[in-house]
Order: sequence, then structure tokens, then C-alpha cells
Amino acid sequence: MELRKYIARRLVQIIVIFFVILTVLFLLFRLAPGDPVSRMVDPDMTPEDSEYLIAQLGLDQPIWVQYIIYIKNFFVGQFGYSFHYGEPVVKIIWDRLPNTILLFTTAIILSALVGVFLGKIASWHKGKKTDAGMTIGALVTHTLFLPWLALIMIWVFGFKLGWFPINGMVSEEVWLDPDSGFVAKALDVIHHMILPLATLFLIHFGAYLLIMRSSMLETLKEDYILTARAKGLEEKVIRDHHAAPNAALPVVTSVGLSLAFSINGGALTETVFTWPGIGRELVFSVSHNDYPLAQASFLLIAIVVLISNLVVDVLYAYLDPRIRY
Amino acid sequence: MKVDTFQSEADIPRRFGWIGPFLEGWSIFKQSLLGKIGLTLLIIFAVMALCSFIPPLINPMYNPMTGVDPEITHSTGPSWRHWLGTDFMGRDIFSQLLAGARVAFMVGVSAAVMSIFLGTSIGMTAGYMGSFVDTLLMRLADMIMVMPTLLVVLILSSVFGQLNIWTIVVIIALFRWPGVSRIIRGQTLSLKQRSFVEAAKVAGASHLGIIIRHIMPNVLPLAFLFMTFRVTSAIIIEAALAFLGFGDPGTVSWGMMLQWVWKTGHMFQAPYWLLPPGICISLITLSFYMLGRAMDEVLDPRLRKEDQGA
Repeated sequence: MELRKYIARRLVQIIVIFFVILTVLFLLFRLAPGDPVSRMVDPDMTPEDSEYLIAQLGLDQPIWVQYIIYIKNFFVGQFGYSFHYGEPVVKIIWDRLPNTILLFTTAIILSALVGVFLGKIASWHKGKKTDAGMTIGALVTHTLFLPWLALIMIWVFGFKLGWFPINGMVSEEVWLDPDSGFVAKALDVIHHMILPLATLFLIHFGAYLLIMRSSMLETLKEDYILTARAKGLEEKVIRDHHAAPNAALPVVTSVGLSLAFSINGGALTETVFTWPGIGRELVFSVSHNDYPLAQASFLLIAIVVLISNLVVDVLYAYLDPRIRY
Repeated sequence: MKVDTFQSEADIPRRFGWIGPFLEGWSIFKQSLLGKIGLTLLIIFAVMALCSFIPPLINPMYNPMTGVDPEITHSTGPSWRHWLGTDFMGRDIFSQLLAGARVAFMVGVSAAVMSIFLGTSIGMTAGYMGSFVDTLLMRLADMIMVMPTLLVVLILSSVFGQLNIWTIVVIIALFRWPGVSRIIRGQTLSLKQRSFVEAAKVAGASHLGIIIRHIMPNVLPLAFLFMTFRVTSAIIIEAALAFLGFGDPGTVSWGMMLQWVWKTGHMFQAPYWLLPPGICISLITLSFYMLGRAMDEVLDPRLRKEDQGA
């Protein structure tokens, strides 16, 4: 019951934040120096088409009417037409969204799980070689410059060794072949996904490892661990069942706090590996002055960030019964 | 016992000025291996930044941006004439690398100082004023905190066109204060309850006077710690932005160098060009990070205890 109330309150907050972002974006694109019409309407369109679009977006109306039309258009999913693709923006971003979610969530979940597991082990061997090695390894991989790591991955595993494809998400010969079944297609996507996934994983797991390690060390000082020891429980049981679940909570928080950082990294990874996701589309549209697409991609990323934040908060409240908001 | 140490330490700046705690902190810092490695690396980078003025003086062809070796028309490997080889236009990579160190420090430190200044003042104001001001500022902080800064700068550059390096620095600072302000706010909330603040109030000190004279000296060490982390994030954001092709075209940064390797398709042929800038960005990030962790130990006695090992 309490939890449900908490979720409802967070949801309201998130909707408010989203409206602020929506409004700021509107003001930015309409009031920035230059002609707003040229930012909304493809300069290569025929005069009739562009007049139709100007009327539809209300660009000939006063600014507050434009704002109402803008909000309304957002809810009916009308974001205009991409200059570059000549297709409705909404169709493009719906196409790209699943790809981003696939790569991004897999990377975050995988690195959090591995980080928690290794952090647990590091804290258990505190002060020994295992611990030192893991801590240093985590520090070094976490501070690598992501785009550079991506280029190195491509260079070593894609070019030198030739183990993995270096761009895109699918290979044409597999997907255009009518004989290839679901399994072949899935394997093809996984084959393409390994390098970008490994890049994101290497950057992220270190941070989670370090947090888990220090949180574990704090937890091991708690009285209930002493009690567990006094009861004569096995060390492994104490570590895995008494200490680790509590110690993992700060990792959940940090996943939430570092989401903005991870999204930046996601966009960079997608761009270098030409993974057809939202982040790459945003970078691409900004460099090609495709304003409608840039605006919509940014909005969608904002929605993704806000919803993931909510998910992390709810997960945290669910995992830790001591916390009630 | 632990609590005692912390309180007296927080009070020191108020009683003895800055020298005492600084020396005390330095002696703790010296014991930290991470801190020593970090500091050594940073000194090397600082030397690189200072030396960046020398190559163009030796020969104009060593100018990182405009200097072109007239005998070279394509990217060549390391030689005596060009220690790290040249890029596709015949510009010297080593002098670009030195210039990149200067830009990294410039971007990192100025963005960090600005965002720490913002975060500290906002955090102190929110914590000290409380009620409505507090709620408003902290909600604003929540909102900015969830925004991916790199993508925000991207969308701004799509509206305003090419951004110059100082605009980028200011935008980074404007979007990187919330983390600091939250911590400072928490610290201010607890300081507000202390007796010396009460005493100042009774003695008739103004709000601004209390904030500047009694709150600020006590939160500054924490703010200082956060600065090291802000330096890294500013350097990374600028580098990533330059890498994607939205950097200041008049500045040679490490991110820009990587963008040139990548965009001219030299990444498979020219490891002497691909490796150095990436290693430098990664190492400078690592060294500020290690410095931050070592300073963390200086400021938070609990961590120190833990690392000396039970």
C-alpha cells in the first residue's frame, strides 16, 4: 500500500519533470536565433507540402497557440518529417527504440550482476592480491575513454582478428535469405552485439564492483554478521545470504544515479559501432541539421531516462523493506 | 571516538585557519598509494601542458593546428623529426598531444571551478534557507541530475550551431552542479544546528554573514573533494563532444585528435596516431579519480580506518 503511494508520487514528479523538459525544448527550438520555420520544415519540400506542414505545426500562429499545438502533437505522436529520411519522425524512432533498449539494458544488467559478484569476492579477500588486482582493474577499466575503447575493440577484434562484424546490427545475407530461421537471425544479432556490449560492460562493471566492495566492507562490521558468526554459520552462508543482499542495495542506487552517464556512453557506443539506436540517431540528426528528428530523439531519450529512474527507485523500495517514503 | 575525530576536524578551519588542516591532510595523503600515483601522473600531464608552448617556437611546422610539414603529404609513423608521427595533413602528433594536455586542464579545471561554485552556493542556500527555497532548488537539482549532459550539449549545438570551447565549458558547469549541491546541502543542514551558528545568530550576525563566515569554511573541504570528480567529468564530456565532431574547431583537444583518426579512416593503419590521445584521456581521468579517492580518505576518517585494515 505504502509502496503504491510512493510509486504514484514519483510518477507525478516524473510527469512534471517531463513537461518542463518538453517546454524547454519547445522554447529552445522556437526562440533560438534564426528562423524557426527552417528548423521545422524541410527546405527541400515543395511549396504546397511546406505550407501544409506550417499550418499543421501552427508556425504561422502566435507562440502560445504554437505551444498548445506542440503539446497536442506530442500526444498524438506527430513530430513532423525527418529532413534526411523523408519519413515521419515517429516511425524512425519507434524503429530504433527496441535496438537501444536491447543493447542498453543487457549491458547495464550484465555489468551490475558481474560487478556485484566480483565486488563481493574482492571484499572477502580484502587486503590480499585478489582484492588489489580487482580494485585496480576496476579503476582502470572504469576510467577508459569509451569511444577510444570502442575503436580499440573494433581494431583488435573486428579488424586484426576478424572475429566480429564491426558495424550495424544485422548482416544482409542472413536477414534477406528466406531460408534462415529465427535462431539464425537471433544468432546474427548476438554476433553483432558482442563488441558494443563488451565495450559498455567494461566501462560500467568497475564502478559497481568498487561500490559493492566498500558497501560489503561496511556491512561486514554490522552486529547481525557478528551474530551469524556466533551462531556458527558457515562463512560462505554469511557472505552470500546475510551480507551480500544488504550490501548490494547501494549498487541499485548507483545504477540509478549513473544512468545519465550510462546514456551518454550508450549514444557514443551506438555511434562508433553504427548500432541503429536512438543515441546514434540523435548524433546523426544533429550533425545533419535534421531538427525534427533531433528533437524527437532527445525527447525519447529523456523519457527513457525518467522511466529507468522510476524503475530503479521502485526496485530499491521493493528490495529494502526498511525504506518507506 | 570516530564521531569525535570528525567533528573536531570539521571545526579546525574555523579555529586555526587553513595551514593546520592542510599539513595534517597532506601527511595522511602521503600514505595513500593511489594518491601518490595520481599526483605523479597529474604532474606529468601538467609538465606536458607547460611544454606545449615549446614545439611551435622551435619550428612553425610543429604548430599543433596550422603547422604542416612541407615534405609530408600523408600520415607517417614515428621518426626523429616527428616523435609520434604525423597526421593526414603532415601535422606533428606529439605537439598536438602536448596542446591537448593544455586544453584538458583548461576545460577540466575551469568547468569544475564553475560547477563547484554553483553547487556550493546553491547547496548552502537550500540547506540554510530551508522550506520553499530548499524544495524548489532541490527539485531543480533532481531534474538536471537525470539529464545526460553530453546529449544536452549536443541538442544545444544543434540549435545554436558550432559552440566554442568556453561556451561548452559553461554549459558543462551549468549541468554538473546538482551532485555537489546535494552533498553541501546535507552538510549545511547539520551545521545549521550546531551551537556556533546559534551563537552567531544570537550575536546578531546576518544570514549572509553566517553562511560565509561559519558555514562555508566547514563545507569547502567537501566541495574541494568533489572538484576532482568534476574535473574528470568535464574532460570526458569535452573529449566525447569533440570526438563526435561537435567540438570547437579552433582547438586541438585529445577528443579532436581521435575524431580526426576516426573520420579520416586511419584507425586501422595508424596505431601511433590512434593510441596516444586515448591513453592520455584515460590516464588523466584515472589520475584525477585516484586523487579524489585519496582525498576522500583525508576528509572521511572512516575510510582511513577501513583501509588501514582490521
